Amino acid sequence: MEKYIVELERIHKSFAGVKVLQDVRFSLKSGEVMALLGENGAGKSTLMKILSGVYTRDSGDMRIFEREQGDLTTKMAQELGIAIIHQELNMCRHLTVAENIFLGRESKKGIILNNKEMVRETTKVLQSLKIDLDPNTVVGELPVSKQQMVEIAKALSIQAKVLVMDEPTSALTSKEIDELFRIIKQLRQDGCGIVYISHRLEELSHLADRVTVLRDGRFIMEGDFNDYTMDQLIAKMVGRDIAEKFPRITCKKGKKILEVKELNSGPLVRDVNLEVCEGEIVGIAGLMGAGRTETTRAIFGIDPKDSGEIILNGKPVAIKKPLDAIKAGIVLAPEDRKKDGLCTKLSVRDNLALPNLDWISGIAGKVNRKKEMELADKAVSELNIKLANLDINAESLSGGNQQKVVIGKWLARDSKVVIFDEPTRGVDVGAKVEIYNLMNKLKQNGTGVVFVSSELPEVMGISDRILVMCDGRITGEIARSEATEDKILTYATEFETKI
Amino acid sequence: MNEKKSNWLNRALAARGVRSVVTATVGFVILFIIFSIMSPSFRSGSNIQNLFRQIAPTLIIGIGQAYVLITGNIDLSIGSVVGMSCMTAGTLMCKGMHPIIACLLTLAASLVVGLLNGTLVAKLKLPSFIATLGTMTLARGLAQLVNNNHNTDFIGNTAQSFRDLLYYGSFLKVFNAVWIAIILWVIFNFLLSKTRTGRHIYAVGSNLDAAKLSGVNSFWTILITYVVSAFCACLTGLILLASAGMGTMDAGTTYEMYAVAAGVIGGISTLGGTGILAGVIAGAGIWGILQNGLQFVGAPVALRNIIIGIIVILAVMLDIVTRTNRKKVKKP
Repeated sequence: MEKYIVELERIHKSFAGVKVLQDVRFSLKSGEVMALLGENGAGKSTLMKILSGVYTRDSGDMRIFEREQGDLTTKMAQELGIAIIHQELNMCRHLTVAENIFLGRESKKGIILNNKEMVRETTKVLQSLKIDLDPNTVVGELPVSKQQMVEIAKALSIQAKVLVMDEPTSALTSKEIDELFRIIKQLRQDGCGIVYISHRLEELSHLADRVTVLRDGRFIMEGDFNDYTMDQLIAKMVGRDIAEKFPRITCKKGKKILEVKELNSGPLVRDVNLEVCEGEIVGIAGLMGAGRTETTRAIFGIDPKDSGEIILNGKPVAIKKPLDAIKAGIVLAPEDRKKDGLCTKLSVRDNLALPNLDWISGIAGKVNRKKEMELADKAVSELNIKLANLDINAESLSGGNQQKVVIGKWLARDSKVVIFDEPTRGVDVGAKVEIYNLMNKLKQNGTGVVFVSSELPEVMGISDRILVMCDGRITGEIARSEATEDKILTYATEFETKI
Repeated sequence: MNEKKSNWLNRALAARGVRSVVTATVGFVILFIIFSIMSPSFRSGSNIQNLFRQIAPTLIIGIGQAYVLITGNIDLSIGSVVGMSCMTAGTLMCKGMHPIIACLLTLAASLVVGLLNGTLVAKLKLPSFIATLGTMTLARGLAQLVNNNHNTDFIGNTAQSFRDLLYYGSFLKVFNAVWIAIILWVIFNFLLSKTRTGRHIYAVGSNLDAAKLSGVNSFWTILITYVVSAFCACLTGLILLASAGMGTMDAGTTYEMYAVAAGVIGGISTLGGTGILAGVIAGAGIWGILQNGLQFVGAPVALRNIIIGIIVILAVMLDIVTRTNRKKVKKP
C-alpha cells in the first residue's frame, strides 16, 4: 500500500475578493500519476502553486510526507522535494543549461562557484533522462521543447519526490511526448508522485492512475482514472454534457477566394501552394518545426517573402507588412497569444479595438467611444468571453478567454480570409468547442478559414480539406473523408533528407 | 579535436556578450592608433598617463552601473551621489576633519542612497527609472545643502595628504586613481563572475520570476547592486574632489549617463541578463580616448559631443545587427 505523500484539505484562496479555490481537497500517493483536470480558470494552477509555495493559502490543511505544513515558500517547498514545471516556461534564457538547473542552489568551493561540478552533475542528470544536450548551451538558443526538458531535468536534480507538470506537452512534438512519457513512467517506478495537468485527455489515458477534477474553484471528484470514460470526465469538467467534441456543419463551397502560389520565405517556407475557397476550412497539419507557423507569417506579411504570389479574389495583392494583409482582408490569429496576439498590459477593450481603430475613430483620429464600446460588447457576447468588465488587463484572463479576445479582434472587420494558428493550444474543452463553432460560423458566412493545428483529432474533425507540411514544403493534401491519422503522419514525416 | 576546439571558441564568444567586448576593444585600439598618428602630443608619455587617469572615474561608475543594468534596472542617481560625495567630503575636510574619517562618513552617506534605491526598486517595486530619478534629484539637493549652497574652499590647506594620495600619487608611473579603478574592477569582476551573488544578478536580470521560483532572494540581489553602484559613485566623488582641490556642487552631473554609455559600448544590455565587466573597461576606454584624443586633434567641444553621441548609437546598432545576423545563420 503506497503512502499518501500529499494531502490537501479544505483549501481556500481568494485574490482581491474573488474566490479562486473553495473547500478544495487533493491527495497524491507515491508512485502514481495523478491527473488534475478542469477547465481554464478552474483553479488547478492556483492549487499547485499553493503546493509549491508560490502562493500561500487563506485557510486549510496541508500535509506533506505526513507532516502538517504551515505557509511554504518556494525554497521550503523545494527542500521538501516538491518541484513544479510551470505552464509558462521559467528559464533564464541568458544563462546556460547548467546554470539554470543549479539556480538558487549553486554548489561552491568556499565563496567561488564550482562550475565544473555543476556541469558534471548536469551531465549526469541529462544522461539519466537520456536527453542529448550540452550543459554549457545558453538556454535562450534552445527550441522550446528542449527548454522544457531542461525544466524537467532541473526538477529531478533536486531529488523531487513530488513533481507537478502543468501542461507539459503543449509545445512538444509527438516524438518528444513519447520521450517525456518514458521519463514520467521511469519516475513513477522510482516512487515519485506526479501531478499531471493537461487538456489533452487522449494522452492521459496512457499515463494517469488516478484523477481529480476541479470546476470553478471547487472539488468535483476523485477516483481511479480507468473507472471513467472520456465523456464522463469531460462532463464532470464542464458540468454539462458536450454533445459533440468536433461539431461540424456542411455548407456550400463557394468560389476560390485565396490562392498562394510558389511562396518562399526562409528555409521553412518552400514552394508553398495553397487555395482556400469561400465557406471552406482548410486545415494545415504537420509536426513542430514543419513550417506551418512560418507559412502563416509569410502570408500575413510578418516575415519577408523571397518569392511567390498571393492572389485574393482573382487579383494579385502585394503584402509587404501585416497592414497590407489586413487592408486586403486577410487576418491572422497568431500562435503565441501572449507574445503576438495581445497587448497583455492593455485592457480587453483596448485590445479588441486595436486593429479596428481605423474605422472606429473619426476626425483627427479621435476614437469614437460609443463605437468602441459597441464593438467590444459585441465581441464579448458573441464569443462568450467571461470577464468581470472590459477594463481589466488582457493578461488577467484565463487562457481560453485570452484566445477568444485574440479572435474577437478580427471579427468586427469583414475579413475574407481568417488564419487561425493553433487557436486551441492550452484551451479547455468547453472553450475549444466554442472556438470550433466560431470557425464554423465564419465558414457559413462565406469566409475562407485556414486552421493550423498540431492536434490531429481536431484537424480531422473540423477541416474540410487537410494540407500536411513537412520541412517547409506541403507534402500532401487529403480530403476530409479520406483522412486518417496514419495518412497524415506519413505525409508529415516525408523528409527530403533524413536528419 | 578541431571541432571541439572551435566549439569552445564559439561558446566563449557567445557567452554573455564577449563578442561585443572584443569589438569594443578593437575599436579602442583603432582609435588609439588613429590619434597617435594624427597627434604626436597625444602619444606622449605624460598624455598616456593622463588618459588613463581620465578613464578611471568613468570606469569606476561604469562598474556600478553595469551591476544595476545586468539586473535589468538603471541607476540615474550616480552623478548626484558623485556630487554629494564630493561636497560632503570637501566640506568636512575644510572644517579640518581628518581625511580618513571624512571619507568614511561620506561613504556612509552615499551607501544610504544606495540602500534607499535598492529598497524603492526591489521592495516597493518602483520602476527603477522613476525611483532613481527621484533619488538623483534628492542627492543633488543634499550636495547643495551640505555647504549652504556654496562650493567649498580649497582643501589643500587642511587635507593635502588626501590630494597627494588620490590625485598626484602614482605607482609604477600609473596614477593611484587608475590603480583604484583596477583594484575595484578585479574585486567586482570576481564577485560578478565567480560567486553565487553574481550568478543571481544575471538570473534576476534574465528572468525575475524564474529566479524567484528557483529560490533566489531577488530583493537582496537588487539591493546589493545599488549599494555597489553607490559605493563606486562615492569613490568617484572623492577622486574628483582630490583632482579639483575643492568640492563643487555640480560635480558628476550626467555621469550616470557616461556610465550607461560605457556599459552599452562594452556590450552590456540595458534590458538585463547579459554583459560582462570587461566590457566596461573597453567602453570606458573608448569614452575616455574620444574625449582626450579629439581634444588633441583640435576638434571643438561641440564636434566632440556630436562624434561621441554618434559612436554610442553606432555601438548599439552594431550589437543589434550582429545579433540578428547570428540568429539568421543559426536557422538550418
